[in-house]
Amino acid sequence: MSETIFRTKGLTKVYRSGAQEVHALRGVDFQAAQGEFIVILGPSGSGKSTFLNIVGGLDTATAGEAWFEDHQLTALDERGLTQYRRDHVGFVFQFYNLVPSLTARENVALVTEIARRPMSPDDALALVGLTDRRDHFPAQLSGGEQQRVAIARAIAKNPEVLLCDEPTGALDSATGIKVLEALTQVNRTIGATTLVITHNAAIREIADRVLRFADGRIVEETVNATKKSPAEVSW
Amino acid sequence: MVISPLRRKVLRDLRRLWAQVLAIALVLAAGVATLILGNGAYSSLYETRARYYDDYRFADVFADVTRAPRALLGDIREIDNVLAAEARIVKLALLDMPAMAAPGTMLLVSLPEDGDRGLNLLHLRQGRLPDPQSAREVVVSEGFAAAHRLRPGAPLTVLMNGQRREMLVAGIALSPEFIYALGPGEMMPDPRRFGIAWLPRPALEAAFDLEGAFSNVVLKLVPGASMDRTIEALDRLTAPYGGAGAVARKDQISHAFLDAELKQLSAMVKVLPPIFLLVAAMLVNITLSRLITLEREQIGLLKAIGYSSRAIAQHYVEFVAAIAMLGIVIGMAAGVWLGVGLAQLYARFFSFPFLIFTHDPQIYGLAAAVTVAAAVAGALLAVRVAVALPPAVAMSPPAPADYRARMGAFRRLFALRQTGVMVTRHLFRWPLRTASGTFGVAMAVAILVASLWSFGSINHMIDVTFTRAERHDALVAFGAPEPARALFAARQMPGVLAAEPFRAVAARISHRALSRKLSIMGKPETPILSRVLAPDLRPIAMPAAGLILSEALAKALAVRPGDRVTVEFLEGARRTVTLPVSGLSLGYVGLGVAMELTALNRAMGEGALISGVALQIDETRQDAFYAAAKTTPKTGFVAVTALTVARFKETLAENITVMITVYVGLAAIIAVGVVYNFSRIALSEQGRELASLRVLGFTRGEVSGILLGELATVVLAAQPVGWLFGYVIAFGMVEAFSSDLYRVPFVIGPEVYVTASLIVCVAALASAWAIRGRINNLDMVEVLKTRE
Repeated sequence: MSETIFRTKGLTKVYRSGAQEVHALRGVDFQAAQGEFIVILGPSGSGKSTFLNIVGGLDTATAGEAWFEDHQLTALDERGLTQYRRDHVGFVFQFYNLVPSLTARENVALVTEIARRPMSPDDALALVGLTDRRDHFPAQLSGGEQQRVAIARAIAKNPEVLLCDEPTGALDSATGIKVLEALTQVNRTIGATTLVITHNAAIREIADRVLRFADGRIVEETVNATKKSPAEVSW
Repeated sequence: MVISPLRRKVLRDLRRLWAQVLAIALVLAAGVATLILGNGAYSSLYETRARYYDDYRFADVFADVTRAPRALLGDIREIDNVLAAEARIVKLALLDMPAMAAPGTMLLVSLPEDGDRGLNLLHLRQGRLPDPQSAREVVVSEGFAAAHRLRPGAPLTVLMNGQRREMLVAGIALSPEFIYALGPGEMMPDPRRFGIAWLPRPALEAAFDLEGAFSNVVLKLVPGASMDRTIEALDRLTAPYGGAGAVARKDQISHAFLDAELKQLSAMVKVLPPIFLLVAAMLVNITLSRLITLEREQIGLLKAIGYSSRAIAQHYVEFVAAIAMLGIVIGMAAGVWLGVGLAQLYARFFSFPFLIFTHDPQIYGLAAAVTVAAAVAGALLAVRVAVALPPAVAMSPPAPADYRARMGAFRRLFALRQTGVMVTRHLFRWPLRTASGTFGVAMAVAILVASLWSFGSINHMIDVTFTRAERHDALVAFGAPEPARALFAARQMPGVLAAEPFRAVAARISHRALSRKLSIMGKPETPILSRVLAPDLRPIAMPAAGLILSEALAKALAVRPGDRVTVEFLEGARRTVTLPVSGLSLGYVGLGVAMELTALNRAMGEGALISGVALQIDETRQDAFYAAAKTTPKTGFVAVTALTVARFKETLAENITVMITVYVGLAAIIAVGVVYNFSRIALSEQGRELASLRVLGFTRGEVSGILLGELATVVLAAQPVGWLFGYVIAFGMVEAFSSDLYRVPFVIGPEVYVTASLIVCVAALASAWAIRGRINNLDMVEVLKTRE
């Protein structure tokens, strides 16, 4: 296993709504190695999204530590977290969140313009197999194509980390597989540590490691000795 | 009482969108307020004047004569349609106030003799009327008394015909004849240097050698009588006695200035409220359209469970009507409050014994009706979309906004980054809304341009009049024409450095059916102290025989240089001659006509007479000059340029703050209303995109920049449009305000555009600042999970 890129220790998140306290995370210890492909499973409310948000620099922890390489994420302020996301993290959303007024290529360029060591938008689109659709607007693309544009946008900055929250949640099985293929492809090509949240247990088979969240904790961890390719899974 | 769920939703929507609702309501309120203020002030001024005229028997016709026997009054009363006629003695005297070195003028008017049946009755404010037998007691005008802190019993010295007279203030009064009391040779009322004193006829008869005679006659006519025929008949009777031609009420100075004010108010009512209502309608439209887009699923649901389209339409109309009601309430309160302020302003310029501030329910009803109409009209387009939504379509989310526009050239031209492309495409995606926003901001700029220009123009007018044309320090008008040698006497007065004679002759100038009664000014061939300027501001030499007409007079008579006009002199031998129009001159105040002094005397068939002198005074000997001018028997009145200009500027400065505050406030309401709503809608539409960009690592500044870039584009694009609209409105105002009394030059300097734009940009920045918090708090976690 190569070097550790992420680690968390006793990561805790408590939401307060009025007098009520909701414990979203109850002390999560976690490590991820560079280039690892991790699938995170768990029912709604199990804390998996909160976990992803904190390691992605979108949310702050109530207690515990989270480290990315030698940056302590839990010690960064808003500005520091923005810089962290900008320089190191690629996000893929469930509903793609493309900018409708920009073409596929322009959506990717949006990120490469502010990245420190980006690849060219055309290369990023080629990686997800969308070269011929690059001048189309989101409204002219299918859901799967939109998600692949979103992946291209996420990886175009050459991020160390790729975080995906339900990337296939809005897609049918065939299209979902294409998106997963794009994800595994870029994981291999650029070596970004990839964390994929999903409800879909079938996806676990393509991961290096599978974490199961429940009640704010990691309750099960499985290492796949042999990964399947996305084409081999179905749901 | 059970509130229906939909009505409850209206109330909750109003509360949720309170800032946008308030911004729209304020624009509507500005429309309501200006409508109520304008209409209210108009009818207030109009009614007050009408009541005052009625109650105090204000005359319809006014005529001066040199000296007419009282027996003539009988003949005058015989003229058809004359209801009442009163012979008076009206004469100018000089003030001799111990605390005031500067010369001042007092208009002496004989008291009405028929008691309540007389004309131009006085409204006594303090004290009593003079004892009819007293030669000393006077009633003075209220403004004058206030300026000099005179109370009944105070002594007052005036110089009548060069003779010092000690008078005693018996009372303080107002008269419908002097609501706007403008002294001779002045541009603004100055109650310190001009007052009116009423005294019993015998005292004046003795002082001015007018026993059994009169110098002025006023008539009251049967309602609806022909003014022209009456004046003609009166002029025929007074001509042998030096009648200088009667004037109708519409040309009476005080009345005409009130008319000018009324004209301005009615112009304001025509321009301002429609702008606000239009902008408000547009704001309602874009805001409601967005609300309906956001609520399409709810609309579909409501329809699916059985609400009719009508009920849904009514729901949104109720929402808009509530905004309109809020605007009406705020606007009415502001209108009444501003109305009281305006009434106080009027009280400073116009002397009324009372001010009727009408609360005509019709005005309020009209304001409410047009406001609701404007708001509902703005809502209709948006509501139609809601009504047309089929339930099934309404319940599925809208398709992603379809952008197909190519903009390669545009993009290369401005070297746009992706965020710039986002801004541009978003603006072009909703061209109507972008145009509405631009138009709204442009109107804010236009209101400012259309109000701020006048100050520069007035300064230009002062500059041209007093530094290029009337360059004298003082002007002494004689009580009656004097032989030319009076010029030499004037040169001998203390402090006089240079003197230039002038002759002023009352005349009627006509060309075909058009005619005007005015004073022809006779000037030396090359005047130096009191010059006549060509429209291009170059001084004109007086032609050997012809007339120089002011442009306004030439227009009024429809003549051009080279035409001949008929001149009927109303003084001296009362000759009628025809003279050529030799040239045109510039003139902002009154209708001007000038000719060479000796040519004028020749045309009248008189010897070398002059009416007064324009003087250049040694500043250090000013007081000595004032003292000498007062005691010279020949002096009719003295006008001091520096005092006239100072008073003018002082009055302007008093008003400028109020005016600028009001107009800046109005423009800011529009700018804030438009920019705030526009940015809230842009944020609502793009909030998800912007939050996504934050997730992707864009800083708060970069994300704000996208939205602010959109606003900045709209605000900047609005500037030239606003300048153009402002220019057009200002031009219309110049045309509307021009009268025989004065014309304002149309001068808009770059500083007007710059100031207007700066003010609007500041207001826009302030409202953009208000949504910055919302941009900073965009929920990044939310966008990961939800679709729009």
